[in-house]
Amino acid sequence: MSIFTFRKQVCNRIFTLFRNVLISKHRFVPELQYSSATAQNFSLWNHGIADFNKISGLPFTTLRLFSTQIALEPSTSDGLTVEGILGNRWTILDESESDWRSHAAAIAQSIHLIKKRLQWKKLMMRLELLSVELNKADLWDDPAHAGKISREHGSIMSKIKEINAFERELLEHIDMIKLAREENDTELESESLNALLTMRRNSREKELEALLSGENDSCSCYIEVQAGAGGTESMDWAAMVMQMYIMWAQRRGFKVTVMEEMPGEIAGIKRATIKLDGEYAFGYAKSEVGVHRLVRISPFDSNKRRHTSFAAVAVIPITGDGSTHIQINETDLRIERFRSGGAGGQSVNTTDSAVRIVHIPTGITATCQNERSQHQNKAAAMAVLQSRLNQLEMTRQAQMNAQHTQSLSDITWGNQIRSYVLHPYQMVKDLRTNYEVSDPDSVLEGDLDSFILNYLSASLDKDGDQL
Amino acid sequence: MRLSIARAYLVAPHRAKSIRPICSSSSPNPQIPLFLRPPNYSVTLTDVHKWHNWAKTLNSSVGSSFVHTDNGPDSTLLHRELKWLIQDAVDDKSLSSELENEIEQYPELGLRNVRLKVGIDELYRLWKQRIHDRRPFQYIVGCEHWRDLILSVEEGVLIPRPETEVLVDLVEKVVSDNEALREGLWVDLGTGSGAIAIGICRILEGRGRVIATDLSTIALAVAGYNVQRYGLQDLIELRQGSWYEPLQDVQGKLSGIISNPPYIPSDNIFGLQAEVGKHEPRVALDGGTNGMDELIHLCDEAAVMLKPGGFFAFETNGEDQCKHLVNYMENNHKGKFCNLKIVSDFASIPRFITGFLNGAI
Repeated sequence: MSIFTFRKQVCNRIFTLFRNVLISKHRFVPELQYSSATAQNFSLWNHGIADFNKISGLPFTTLRLFSTQIALEPSTSDGLTVEGILGNRWTILDESESDWRSHAAAIAQSIHLIKKRLQWKKLMMRLELLSVELNKADLWDDPAHAGKISREHGSIMSKIKEINAFERELLEHIDMIKLAREENDTELESESLNALLTMRRNSREKELEALLSGENDSCSCYIEVQAGAGGTESMDWAAMVMQMYIMWAQRRGFKVTVMEEMPGEIAGIKRATIKLDGEYAFGYAKSEVGVHRLVRISPFDSNKRRHTSFAAVAVIPITGDGSTHIQINETDLRIERFRSGGAGGQSVNTTDSAVRIVHIPTGITATCQNERSQHQNKAAAMAVLQSRLNQLEMTRQAQMNAQHTQSLSDITWGNQIRSYVLHPYQMVKDLRTNYEVSDPDSVLEGDLDSFILNYLSASLDKDGDQL
Repeated sequence: MRLSIARAYLVAPHRAKSIRPICSSSSPNPQIPLFLRPPNYSVTLTDVHKWHNWAKTLNSSVGSSFVHTDNGPDSTLLHRELKWLIQDAVDDKSLSSELENEIEQYPELGLRNVRLKVGIDELYRLWKQRIHDRRPFQYIVGCEHWRDLILSVEEGVLIPRPETEVLVDLVEKVVSDNEALREGLWVDLGTGSGAIAIGICRILEGRGRVIATDLSTIALAVAGYNVQRYGLQDLIELRQGSWYEPLQDVQGKLSGIISNPPYIPSDNIFGLQAEVGKHEPRVALDGGTNGMDELIHLCDEAAVMLKPGGFFAFETNGEDQCKHLVNYMENNHKGKFCNLKIVSDFASIPRFITGFLNGAI
């Protein structure tokens, strides 16, 4: 298994496991510790008696507890809750039908889907754990860690608040409608009905947003494409895949930078790395991890035979806050420049200043040739190397923590995720979701969103009806 | 023609201040790099597209013929240079990617005007020079990206090489190990575009000073321009003269001496890659019969010019020169220097010799 293969696995596993890691670290905590008193006990117990004294000795202000109180489940004046609406199984009619029950049921369904996508229960538990952390007296001894914890706490809180507010809004409108009917106030009734319709429309957007709520989803990322075995035909395929991502990314408004490109001898690429800068680049692109298969009549085969070729895609998040930031030892690095031969120095004037960095202990390499100075190429390659090493470390931690939680995801390097058939018929089919289209050209021109959204919703919505 | 265009732009703010007394009236005015010029030309996208296609065809026709002749650039590299030329010449950064699309399908798009920093005729002329005359790309765009700097360069000034970036890294290492050196006086001998001097000066973080010398009036003017552009005129002093000649007042006071002197043996000049041999100043390349005339001189004088504990780093032609120089210093300046080292560049060619003058600082 090559390094690249290994990295690729790393990449796959991280998505499935990272969230579990966060939870499993504290598996010994009995489930459902919602009251802050229990949480505080846990904190003290975990830190031992010595810490208890330390905490008591500290000034009062440091004992400020971070509130994680989530309001009681909201309901209408007559006790109807969002869960209740779902339970009523009101028929959902078309948007154009002015039936408040239909709107309410549709919105309640959306809320349920959003909560499921956000992994609501896990989110609540995570929030508890973070609150315990935040209340620790020695938290700010490590400001970087503290900053990270409080940022995550804030972001989870705002997600939860948003959904709760959405729920309350739904119930308030229902109350208003009931009130309007009692009072025979048709104006108020139609106003409230319209408000429900607006909510119903907005909820679609929120459902999509909830697809991208993973740990690193909002990050920029690198995409790597590597040609499989099969010579020029598969190198050409790798180049087509890369081109597909470049066009898709440009359409999505991400800034695309080619970091390195190893061209094939006759056509295509052996391997290339691009960087996508933009919000949620990783969240979308992670869906593309895996092996992509092409079937066509090869233009490189003089006998016009049909060929099958493969290209492997890896996606690496660029985690800005250094959550898993490996300290790289300068002495562990070997920096190389592609040498064109000859004496170098003053004798040669070349604008080619590509640099390759080898991390000797792991054998992981990174190359950059896109920048105009060697210094900048080196800095860019270092950034790639850093991301790769961070990812390796995240996987290592994930594997360590996940051993007794869940078997590894069944996505492996050898598994194909998508098939592109140009001959004898035309079809692109995602093997994970069975989603397919019959227009390969538009897909290869970057029309990937439907594949990505299908995969994201399928992977988040699968596990039954549990939140 | 090229010069007159360049001069037309030589207005304030950069040129308003005189650089140094030494390069006042008699000195030539350095060119403004292409990317810094105002976008005074308006051309339709179709015309730019035509030029771009023409230039790409020209690149492709080169294939690897230059590689075989004299280890020059191949088509791939020329394509990349072309992309950079467009980056420097246009005002709208998105144009580069637009040019890759097929505008033939959408003729109405081609009617759009784009703002350029040179006229379209000039673009044709420049790329013809690149391919037919093998004029170095850096002279075409008037700049070289070197470390995190963008330095103005023009004919008469050596284009800083990627290898030389490492000299600044070496200084960085030395001053981080020894803060006293950071506050001292450093010199860059034969500064050319001022690359090393500016690089070192930024490493010293405003605590030390740098004197950069050069014999060439053009080089000093260009170095002065670059020093001004990075706002280092109060920290870098430019002096005209050969090697240590203009430094008699600071004898024995230098914390560091850094130089990339000419080191190519005279006999090799003829066979050089066309970009180098036909266009770059011979005075910055030719190091005499064995290429070490200047290096030997620099080493000899370093013993007198450095203060005790002072550091030197010189670039060389490769392993033979490095070994020879270390031997030479060990024998001819016995006990004067310590920590003599040979340092390789990123292509693993032994490239630099470094060392310290004996004695406490």
